[in-house]
Amino acid sequence: MAPPSSHRPRKKRAGASSPAIGTTIIDSSTKRESPAFPLAAFFWPAKGHPVSQWVILPCILMIAFLFRWATSLWGYSGLQNPPMHGDFEAQRHWMELTTNLPVTHWYFHDLQWWGLDYPPLTAYHSWILGFIGAAINPEWFALYRSRGLDALDLKIFMRATVVVSEYLIYVPAAVQIVRRLAKHQSINPWDFSIAVAAILLQPATILIDHGHFQYNTVMNGFVLASMASMVAGRPLWSCVYFVAALGFKQMALFFAPAVAAYLAGICFFPKVKPLRLVGIAIITVLSFVVLFLPLVLGTAFDTHRNIKLPSSAVLPPLLSTLPVEVSPNAFYYPYLVQLVQAIHRIFPFARGLFEDKVANVWCAIHSSGLHKLNNYPSDLLSKAALALTLTSIMPPCLLIFFKPRKELIPLAFATTAWGFFMCSYQVHEKNVLLPLLPMTVLLATDTGMKPSTRAWVGFANVLACWTLFPLLVRDELRVPYFVLTFLWAYLMGLPPTSLDIYLTPANQGGPALFTKIVHLPIYLAMIAWHVVEAFVLPPTNKPDLWVVANVCLGAAGFGMCYLWCLWRLVEESGILGNARKTTDAVKKTQ
Amino acid sequence: MAEHFPTLSQTAIVATALKVLLWPAYKSTDFEVHRNWLALTHSLPMKEWYFEKTSEWTLDYPPFFAYFEWLLSQAAKYADVAMLQVNNLNYDSWQTVYFQRTTVIVTELVLLYALYLFIQTSTLASKKQAHAAALAIFLSPGLLIIDHIHFQYNGAMYGLLILSVILARKQSGLLASGLVFATLLCLKHIYSYLAPAYVVFLLRTYCMGPKSIFHIKFFNCIKLGLGIAGILGLAFGPFAYYDQILQVLSRLFPFARGLCHAYWAPNMWALYSFADRVLIYAAPYLKLPVDSRAIDSVTRGLVGDTSFAVLPEITPRMTFLLTLASQIPSLIKLFFQPTWDNFVATLTLCGYASFLWGWHVHEKAILLVIIPFGLIALKDRRYLGAFRPLAVAGHVSLFPLLFTANEFPIKVVYTVFWLITVLFAFDRLAHAPDQPRVFLLDRFSILYIAVAIPLIAYCSLVHQLVFGAKYEFLPLMFISTYSAVGVVLSWIGFSVVFVKS
Repeated sequence: MAPPSSHRPRKKRAGASSPAIGTTIIDSSTKRESPAFPLAAFFWPAKGHPVSQWVILPCILMIAFLFRWATSLWGYSGLQNPPMHGDFEAQRHWMELTTNLPVTHWYFHDLQWWGLDYPPLTAYHSWILGFIGAAINPEWFALYRSRGLDALDLKIFMRATVVVSEYLIYVPAAVQIVRRLAKHQSINPWDFSIAVAAILLQPATILIDHGHFQYNTVMNGFVLASMASMVAGRPLWSCVYFVAALGFKQMALFFAPAVAAYLAGICFFPKVKPLRLVGIAIITVLSFVVLFLPLVLGTAFDTHRNIKLPSSAVLPPLLSTLPVEVSPNAFYYPYLVQLVQAIHRIFPFARGLFEDKVANVWCAIHSSGLHKLNNYPSDLLSKAALALTLTSIMPPCLLIFFKPRKELIPLAFATTAWGFFMCSYQVHEKNVLLPLLPMTVLLATDTGMKPSTRAWVGFANVLACWTLFPLLVRDELRVPYFVLTFLWAYLMGLPPTSLDIYLTPANQGGPALFTKIVHLPIYLAMIAWHVVEAFVLPPTNKPDLWVVANVCLGAAGFGMCYLWCLWRLVEESGILGNARKTTDAVKKTQ
Repeated sequence: MAEHFPTLSQTAIVATALKVLLWPAYKSTDFEVHRNWLALTHSLPMKEWYFEKTSEWTLDYPPFFAYFEWLLSQAAKYADVAMLQVNNLNYDSWQTVYFQRTTVIVTELVLLYALYLFIQTSTLASKKQAHAAALAIFLSPGLLIIDHIHFQYNGAMYGLLILSVILARKQSGLLASGLVFATLLCLKHIYSYLAPAYVVFLLRTYCMGPKSIFHIKFFNCIKLGLGIAGILGLAFGPFAYYDQILQVLSRLFPFARGLCHAYWAPNMWALYSFADRVLIYAAPYLKLPVDSRAIDSVTRGLVGDTSFAVLPEITPRMTFLLTLASQIPSLIKLFFQPTWDNFVATLTLCGYASFLWGWHVHEKAILLVIIPFGLIALKDRRYLGAFRPLAVAGHVSLFPLLFTANEFPIKVVYTVFWLITVLFAFDRLAHAPDQPRVFLLDRFSILYIAVAIPLIAYCSLVHQLVFGAKYEFLPLMFISTYSAVGVVLSWIGFSVVFVKS
């Protein structure tokens, strides 16, 4: 834990009354200051006579915890839904297999029943949790016998592991990124607290991790830690954290181009620093080595004990396509098999272009009937996806490479991740959490709470929750969905609870006309969709019609979010020669 | 006029979000109790209400509450008709749960309205304090635990109580205040513990002139008398017509219960029982006679149980006299200084007295003390000094109500959150007193609060790890003894402050 903010030298600019970040509004006639949105109102008593962060922060964390734990009382993915159950069973099963089987079997064991398909850090994490859980009740993770178990005490244990993992990784990282940004941009501690609360109460994260059941916050926490290290000027740590994120879930690749571009950028601009480049390269390689080391050591141990692969094991096809001929008797062969199998499991090239119904370009084009994509050969589609993804991530990556400035990091991350989410191959609807993460971090930047930015961050979050709705309904999470989404929208002063943002004139930081034209109809459409979905049955020949409508509207909205992030990135980077912005930025970097 | 943030409605919206998320949480038998009352008021004629005993949870609240359940049942049939069948015991379809939980949230609007009036009627100088107190009461962990998890309608009931207290602020509202309180008594008779304060206050301010107690306002007496008679008539009239009053009363006042409830409420009798337990081991050295039948009785308070091994038995009459005796000093003071502040303080002391000395007191009754006290805790720092240990002890004593693992983090984290924010905010807002302080409760309460942490850890975790299922009474006994110490000391502290001011 970093020392409390009171250790920082006070800055004149960061006067408690300065409304720079947009958390307060001043009535033009009475000159009286009031909170700009309800979340700020809840911190009002701490304004004026500051309260120690040692009091406020624990309170925020407790409130964030209460909403998480209350959500966790509801259903989860695959509850009483045989034969395969869902993500809950997958995670439980990985704890079962990592604690019961030799390491060499982890990536080979009965792949039909939720075979492990995440990188090694997930496996190690499952092993630790399974170890603890088995100490409490061995039946929860008994090999084979525990499949599909849904006892209440098991549910509580699993829910607790999500919360504990999140509070050990995501929460400190979120506090750190906000603190680093606040320090970098001279944001006062009061606004800092509001930003932390806003980020921690983000509904989509709570719904997926504590409702649906996953450990996304572990990966997202490492991503945030990586961003925080960049802002703090510690690029080597950011490599370590980012490798950890990748090592937990391969989806962190959404951010990889931005990370690479920024880290490369700081080695070349403003002046070339070859040593830093070498350092980054070495640390990254070392981190990967450390990541795979337990797997390799486990393989060595199993080879030593002469443990064979399971009889059902099929060697990964990747192995035969290697350019060099490998003899099965070579000493390194078992290690190669394990590494190649892990990679084969992590990147399922054989799966489809998109999974289920997801609000991205491909699914929208396909399912809206605009153009059916299943007639094309899959390798052509994957090439098209690759090309489109590269096109979409190229601009933000180039920008952050040539202008590696700290305040651009959240925007560059968000744009790249939106590009991936919209255009890439094999995307889940849950992956929308990735672009949302840096997008929500924008709230902690110096214009983050102003109506123009808050409108977009809020819009992306509400829209994302809404596209998750079909998934959440299957998990019996309808009520938490409405409660958490409404709550966050209310706290941030967003539609459908308030139109204040959109009624703010543009000269007072209100959103541009374009924003209103995009947002308001989509908000209306979301409400209308909920009404229709609740009361009208889809036509019998098109049972998925509502979901398709959801996907298409979602894709359109997310596309707008991508464009907005890109536009803001261009604007903030100053390459257009926008005078006000650049002078502002120069002032800040001094 | 400056508005204070967060406003009451903002707070209510966020709190409601949490309460809705708690719908699937643990619910006690009180949930079934209220479902049964919904069913029996809906499907049976009125004359059978107080005789119906298909369920063991017979109707034991006064008639207005039965009417209230009947009203709710009119809406309940649109949610799920099956919950309205008397024979459908322990029925809890999700529609039933959603419906009943919703009624708790909706009826809590009464409390919200009462608190809104409380802020509105406060003087400009004390508005900030009133605002903070209102938020603290609305967010009370007691209400969250008892109403929204355990399941009861205290929010609405305490809303009426506060409404009645607020109405008494102005001379013009005294009649309405009395009538609202009478209505409350006909909803839930536990509030009769507070009746002495009402009797004295209304008698002195409404029925007598402000200058002399011999100046009796007959017209006011008649209005109040007729009003109360009318309300009682509305409530009990139908049952008097069916000649069932004795049956109704026997349901309302079941005297067959023991001195202490199954969990000991943190009152004098908890300390008394604790002393008795200790004396069992000390008796051989002190050469005291021990009643061997009592030693094995772990779950005390059951009907016909011998309660005490060493100390003398306690009878209902003794508890009644002790309660009354401890109320009298404050009532006398109220009689001679009938200000609104003194009225609320006396209400609080009546709550204390009945909670500490009463027969078969339930730990939930601590709200009878905490909520009226909350209204005046910010009067000055001496009041706050007495409020602090009560806030900690009162809420910790509610923890055994929720014993399931799933709800454990919620009750603990929510209560700790409430204690931190409320005590921190109150500490800033309370003024220095006019008179010097006499009591060193501040030092004591820091120590007292610090002890709570290891205690809760022991009772909820360590005990199970060490002893397993053995000595189950031990954590409960520790919690109630600990809480009792806090409640008793805060009572003494508050009594001293009240008498001296």
